[in-house]
Order: sequence, then structure tokens, then C-alpha cells
Amino acid sequence: MGGFMIITNNTLVKEKFGTDYHVEYEELSFEDTLKKVRDMIYDGYKLLTHPLSGSVKPKETPYKSVLMSEKPEGLDMQSMKLIESAIQACGKFQDRTGQYDSDVYEDFRLIDCTLIGSAIPSAECW
Amino acid sequence: MKLELGNIFIKDIQFGTESKIENGVLTVSEEAVKAIVLEDEKIKSVNLDIAKPGESVRITPVKDVIEPRVKVEGRGGIFPGVIAKVDTVGSGKTYALKGMAVVTAGKIVGFQEGIIDMTGPGADYTPFSKLNNLVVVCEPVEGVKQHDYEKAVRIAGFKVAVYLGELARELTPDETKVYETYGIMEGKEKFPELPRVAYVQMLQSQGLLHDTYVYGVDAKKTLSTIMCPTEIMDGAIVSGNCVSACDKNPTYVHENNPVVHDLFEEHGKTINFVCQIITNENVYLADKMRSSDWTAKMCRMLDLDAVIVSQEGFGNPDTDLIMNCKKIEAEGVKTVIITDEYAGRDGKSQSLADADVAADAVVTGGNANQVIVLPKMDKVIGTLDYVNTIAGGNEHSLREDGTIEVEIQAITGATNETGFGYLSAR
Repeated sequence: MGGFMIITNNTLVKEKFGTDYHVEYEELSFEDTLKKVRDMIYDGYKLLTHPLSGSVKPKETPYKSVLMSEKPEGLDMQSMKLIESAIQACGKFQDRTGQYDSDVYEDFRLIDCTLIGSAIPSAECW
Repeated sequence: MKLELGNIFIKDIQFGTESKIENGVLTVSEEAVKAIVLEDEKIKSVNLDIAKPGESVRITPVKDVIEPRVKVEGRGGIFPGVIAKVDTVGSGKTYALKGMAVVTAGKIVGFQEGIIDMTGPGADYTPFSKLNNLVVVCEPVEGVKQHDYEKAVRIAGFKVAVYLGELARELTPDETKVYETYGIMEGKEKFPELPRVAYVQMLQSQGLLHDTYVYGVDAKKTLSTIMCPTEIMDGAIVSGNCVSACDKNPTYVHENNPVVHDLFEEHGKTINFVCQIITNENVYLADKMRSSDWTAKMCRMLDLDAVIVSQEGFGNPDTDLIMNCKKIEAEGVKTVIITDEYAGRDGKSQSLADADVAADAVVTGGNANQVIVLPKMDKVIGTLDYVNTIAGGNEHSLREDGTIEVEIQAITGATNETGFGYLSAR
């Protein structure tokens, strides 16, 4: 099993994990982050965490971080299925990502960070 | 393992100088309860309030709901590994204060959910509107981290519940129910003709505000395992959840899990209720594979005929649910799964983020995207500051006339995936 990298649009994840791990940060929307992950999956990268991690719903939080294989490993059917379902699920929720006070965004960043952080000990076991 | 559960019905709660239970009335010393909560230096202040069924009261944002209990005979104490020392619970005698709950409330994060309306249409969607609630609203000290504050409020709720439960230690229960399961061979000999059934409970285990603790252990760090179903009645599983209020299991639901209680109702009559299997819902996909493999393997090793699988949460756990269902069915064990749906406001979207043909027996807790208008209440316990930012709300949620338009996912317990509620399609 190879290494992993974190795909994220969350600055806190970049700050917290960027020095110890491979973090690919890009300022994108929640849905566009998932689409970036989808495109990588079609390039052979494997999904290592669930794209709908957390009970904060798509488009209610603007932040999403996903663990991916660091290198392409060949087309993975499970990854494709999960990411397509996740992108489809975005359509069920109203976009509210521009409606919060600044401290709420801090909380959203923190929760996304702890969700992806919970996967790192498992990822490091390999 | 055999547990006698003595139920003491609480008809009313009032504040007084001395905490006591007399003739079904719980009197609470505010001073004593506040002192317990303020033992934690991370909590700056605490307010107590009482909300009764039918009152024009809204409690929000709710963190946890807890039923006070006391261990009267047998090993261990309530909330082992959290409040009581680690020891196997689930046998002997326990008393429960029925008809009431401790509700912890207050802001931990700015998008926090959880509404309990004590009257009106919203009250129909939350079973906790039917209880006399002692509401504990905590304020953190300046600068405390959310992790520390979450833990402080979580533990404060359990401590208050244990304090109130202790008031019942010398009382005589209004009714007593006996729950008993048997060893693997013993059960087979006792009920040779009955189908062997277990309950697979999936526990939320993803991170801050998405965690569950088993005997004090963070469930995300556990392998799937088996429990005697009576263990939960002594608080072996507790909630660290408060995001996605509609389909997270508050501690009250763990203590009173209706799947366990309903399976016990049929135990020895139509089924042999063998055990409870607990498994987690981690975000790391290999963890999901391992946990669902383990669950399916145990179902086979226990020679089960059927299981009921309950989910907790949305999205990520849909994948665990389907993995469990597929793998358990592949072992020749029939499954019924309990979930809820996010089918869009019009109900026309795909309900789950995962699916499989093996999932051919599904019970739903309802569509969490369903919109409801909650009328203005005379009194709010907690704050409405976050109603516009909670899941299922938006910037128009809190209207000028005080009504709130939200999806039912904002209501505590509205689509609970153990079936803990009063609404049905019947």
C-alpha cells in the first residue's frame, strides 16, 4: 500500500497537516472539490475516505477534505461509485455556504479538520 | 445475563431546597445540580430550567438527552468507563426515572442543531416533547476549545443524570421488567425451534461531535464486537453526538433502544434474541471494510438466522450500512435494515448515498428534508441565535413573527434510525 495525500479546500487542514503530510489545497466550492476528486479517480487515484464524511451536509458546510492514494493505482470501481453518489447527493441540499458569520466558518473548518484527522491514524497503519 | 429494570414514573419536576423524589414528583435543588456542573473548570456558568409536555417552550440547541438511572444490585454502575468505574454491567437490578430526562443545551459550534418543541407540530416529531425535561444550559469559559467544551458538557449531563438517579436508590419501583439472554449453547438448548436473531447496531464514529463511547472507549478505535443487550440499559453506550439532530442517537436512545426492547418482547416466543453486535462508522474506507467483514463473520460464527441492522447518521454511514447488509446476507443471514432518508424537499431524490439489491427489507425513519413550519413559542430555553445556521434552516428560517421554517432534520430525534419516535406511516 502506498502513501496518501489530502485533497482539501480547507485552509485549516492545510495549516494543521501541510507540514507533515502531502496536502493539495485549492480554493474551490464543496461540490467542485468533490468533482476534482472525481477527476483524479478517473485518472486512477484511489479514494481512501468517504466523500460524505460528517453529518454536516453538503453545501451547508463549504469545506471538504478527502484522503486519496498518493499515486494512481488503476481505476477503482468503489471509488467511482462513492464519488458519483456523493456528487449526486449535493443536489438534494440548498446552497447556504455564503450565509454565515465568520466564527461559524471557523467551526466548519474545525469540524472538517477533525473528520479528516480521524482517518489519518488508520491511513498511517499501512 | 439477567437484568431487572425497575421503572419509577416521574409525573412532575420542580425546583426546591432539597433534591428528592416523593409520590412521583422530582424536586431538584438547583444549588446542588449547579455545583456538580461547575466542578468542571471549563464551564463558566450554568442555568437550569424545566420544560414540561404541552408548554409553549422551545429548547435549542440541544446537545444530549439522558435518562437518570441508578444501579441498585449487581456489578458496576451507570455509565461504566465514563462516570462509574469500568466493570461489566447489564446484570442485577437497575432503577430508571421514566417520563423525564436531563437535556443538555448550549452552543458548542455555530451551526449546531437540535430543537425540542414541547407543544405544536414540532412536538410530534420529537419523542422528548413527551418528557418532563430538566434542561442544563452551560456556558464555557473564554477561549476553551470546542473539543474540551463538548467533553465538559457531555460529562456534566451524565453526572447530573447519575445524581438524580441516586435519589431513587431506596424507592420501590412502580413496575419491574426482567430482561434475560443466555449463553450461546444454553440459548440453543432452551429455544431449539426458534430462529436465532441478533441486533447489529452501527455507532457514529467520525470525529468531533460525531462520536460514541462504549464503556468509555471512542467507538472509532474499536473492532466490531458483541454485547449482552442488557448492558446498554446501564449506560454502556453513550453519545458524543450533536450534529444531524434528527438521526443521531442521544444517550437516552441508547439506554432505551427500541430495537433491543422490541426484540426482547419476542424473545423466547417467536425468536431467540442471541446478542447485540456493535460496529462503527469510520470515515476511512479500509476501516469500513474491516468492521463490516468482522460483523458478517460474527453473524456466521454465532449461527444467526437473521439480524436487524440500525444506522446512525447520513451519507458516510450509508456505505457502512450497505456493506454490512451485503456481507451479512452473503453469509446466509437475513437482514432488515433501519435507516432514514434524505430524499430532497420534494421527496423525489435518491434517498441514500449507497444501495444494493441485498437491501430488500428496509425500514425508514422518514425524510429528513421534509419542511415544517414551527410556530412561535412563548419561551426559549437556550438560544435562537443559531436557528438560521442549523442543518435544514436558512437565512429566512427565523421569521419576523417568530415562526421557524426548517427541515425536520433540525429536530432532535425526528427521523431516528432505531425507530425511537411516535410517528409512523400506519
